[in-house]
Amino acid sequence: MADQNKTSAKVEIGNELLNPSDLFETRTRSHKIPVRGQKDFIPTGSDQQRDWLQQSLDEHWNLVSEERVERLGNLVKAVWIPSDMIVELQSPAGKFWQTMGFSAHGKQCLHPEEALYLMECGNLQVFYQDLPLSIQEGYERFLYLKTMSIQHYQVFGHLKRLGYVVNRFDPSSVPSQYERQLNLPQSRDRSGRLPKRSHSPTSRHTGTQEGPTSKRMEEEKDCNREEEDKNPDSLPDISAPDIDEIQTTSHVDPTTSTEGGQGRSWWSKEGSPDPDSELPGQPQSSPRWDFSSIPFPDLGSRRWLPSSLTSPDACLLPGAVGSVGACDVAPWLQRLNLREVRMSRREWERERDRDRYRRDINQDREVRRCRNWAEYQELQERRIQRSRRDRPAHLWEGPVTPLHDPAQVTSTGELLEKISVIKSTRLLEGASSLKGSEEWRICFNIYQPDTVAEFKKSAPGKPYSRMCVCSFDGPVPDLWTLKLLAFQSGDVPVTYAVVDHGDISFYSFKDFQIPTDTSF
Amino acid sequence: MDSPEQKITKTVSREDASKESMANSRHVIGIHFCGPTPLVWRADELKSARELGIIGTLVGSLARQPRQNTRLGRPLELLPEEGRLLADMGRAAVIPDSTNEDPEVNPEQVEQYHAGLENSFQEQGAMVLADRKTTLLRVMTEKHNEDSGSQEDSDGAVRDRLEALEHGFSFPRTAMAVQLCTARAGLSHCPEVRRFLAADWPTPRDERSETRFRVFRDLRRQGFYLTSAGKFGGDYLVYPGDPLRFHAYFIVVCISMDESMPLCDVLAIARLGSNVKKTVLLCSSGESQEDDREEVVYTSLQWSGMV
Repeated sequence: MADQNKTSAKVEIGNELLNPSDLFETRTRSHKIPVRGQKDFIPTGSDQQRDWLQQSLDEHWNLVSEERVERLGNLVKAVWIPSDMIVELQSPAGKFWQTMGFSAHGKQCLHPEEALYLMECGNLQVFYQDLPLSIQEGYERFLYLKTMSIQHYQVFGHLKRLGYVVNRFDPSSVPSQYERQLNLPQSRDRSGRLPKRSHSPTSRHTGTQEGPTSKRMEEEKDCNREEEDKNPDSLPDISAPDIDEIQTTSHVDPTTSTEGGQGRSWWSKEGSPDPDSELPGQPQSSPRWDFSSIPFPDLGSRRWLPSSLTSPDACLLPGAVGSVGACDVAPWLQRLNLREVRMSRREWERERDRDRYRRDINQDREVRRCRNWAEYQELQERRIQRSRRDRPAHLWEGPVTPLHDPAQVTSTGELLEKISVIKSTRLLEGASSLKGSEEWRICFNIYQPDTVAEFKKSAPGKPYSRMCVCSFDGPVPDLWTLKLLAFQSGDVPVTYAVVDHGDISFYSFKDFQIPTDTSF
Repeated sequence: MDSPEQKITKTVSREDASKESMANSRHVIGIHFCGPTPLVWRADELKSARELGIIGTLVGSLARQPRQNTRLGRPLELLPEEGRLLADMGRAAVIPDSTNEDPEVNPEQVEQYHAGLENSFQEQGAMVLADRKTTLLRVMTEKHNEDSGSQEDSDGAVRDRLEALEHGFSFPRTAMAVQLCTARAGLSHCPEVRRFLAADWPTPRDERSETRFRVFRDLRRQGFYLTSAGKFGGDYLVYPGDPLRFHAYFIVVCISMDESMPLCDVLAIARLGSNVKKTVLLCSSGESQEDDREEVVYTSLQWSGMV
């Protein structure tokens, strides 16, 4: 700060400040990095080795001690605001604005890790209390949170230097399974909001399996549940809840498999986790419909037959329609189930087989020929013996019987299905019911470097991968963590960045199905 | 070399510091914690650390080329064992974090900063002008040599051009070169103040850290250079000389003396070692003897074949 040494042309001892003549000299500084030579295996103590080592070391110190010098016109000025953990730009942003930063209160802002990266690149000069911050102060001030520690920053910097576009991960921006099926266009809210946000009122009802009551909410809730219970096999994915619901602070009862009837407001402003752990300044997602809690009455259900339906909420209807009265269901019910059920051939055969056994025993001719009980019992014995011919008693009469009777003809596929004891499973199975974790979180979205030219912050598209940062000192991610994070990430693969004292390794876990080699 | 140091000590108002203590205290390495991670920022301290055999890892962007990952720059991240060893040797001190104290804007410092900036601007402008003049002179004398016109005409022409240059010269503020400091500047870098402010090294948490530290210290004492070896499945990589020039010999895995290691793990680490052509060392620290020297026991794994 204070320019104490104007006379000497060397770097100061107390500080690492450069005087004006040094600054002037940097114009002719080289921009190349010298290449390192081959390494030796055995130290021989020879002069040649010593000279090589000294040369390498000198080169090394030369590079490491160089200070960053930039033209004042190339530097963007900014100010650090600790209360918001935000860096606010005071002069217009440069090229980096295409992939980094956000707007708030009409000003251009950067997240602390983005600002620190730009400081290290020599593009940004951040002021705090009217004095410029050094890189060291940047590290110490910007990186003290557990959510953006020095390990996270190392991964961030590493990927940015390779050219990737790295953003913070926002759990509510992951499209739900339903939205993905509908292929809805993703639009991200352009303005990132600062910490003070309004939370939509969420009313919490614990799910109950009561019958229909006069209360409208519970009525619709049950209706919802009926509908989802009815179709568990056909659409297993739709019954998986919205990501919002996983992330909100409501306590999901793990025993209820479907989460439709939470009685929550179906107009969700955001689905972010509790405010303690979230990072401020995250862009808010646009309001979305929470389809799983909008009640669609199920009139086809046989279990519950309403006499009339109350009118739906006026907000759900298009504006011009206004409010409609209650609906009398009876005439509609009469029109349901009028078509004859057309069974497939197999179903028809199955029905016939079932009917076969319903025949009256007195109609059986063989039974009629029996004149007394003894003969009838003999007939029974004969019948059993006939059926037992192919089935040895020692196998089929005990408590444990074979899985399959070879006389019964089935396809190879069905046979394999029958005898498979271990069922293969997918990574995402059962993942929807997992609760969030404090330790393991997804931190960043990564986009490929070659998309930089067309990258738009408002519509970034699907990321190439999402990153979770951990270290070799901590535990290895277990199956629970893998499932949880894979589910949180939606259909984007998750990469684990393991930081080990400056060294970063990347791991990912991929779902793998063992192929079955038969034709069914 | 004495005058700059005395200027510094003046600001701390210690005018009777002896030369000896200054010479010694110059080598005290300042360690700054960023969370639980020890970092060293100043280039001269990195050098001192390396002279003591502490290598560390560079984790910041390189000033010359910030957008590449092959060679990184300051800060230097230390292993916890490295920091602790330096502190135990008395060659390093933990500088407590002063960012939490947030004083108001210091108008004196701001004034000094702006004055320095203005002064730098003026000087740089003068240097640029001088540089242009010399270039002009050189070009003109070359031309003169070629043309070999009359002496007086060329002198006059040169003088005119120089005058025009001076009048028309403007050095915009945006062209000024500005330094973006890497390490924090300030009084706390004064060696005297540093000693005064130094905090204690954080005590180790568990037995494993203690074992690691003892193994580290013992190997360092024998003259080896050590770096971290997470990617090799071990605790340290051991080099016979400076890692800049030599390949590693050993992969060290620290385990406690009475811990039993499953055979699969032994096989895995032995296999890994043979694949990367390094010997695996299993290290444990023994009970401390009465003469306060702990023993470190080494076992090496070698892949042998029966041919």
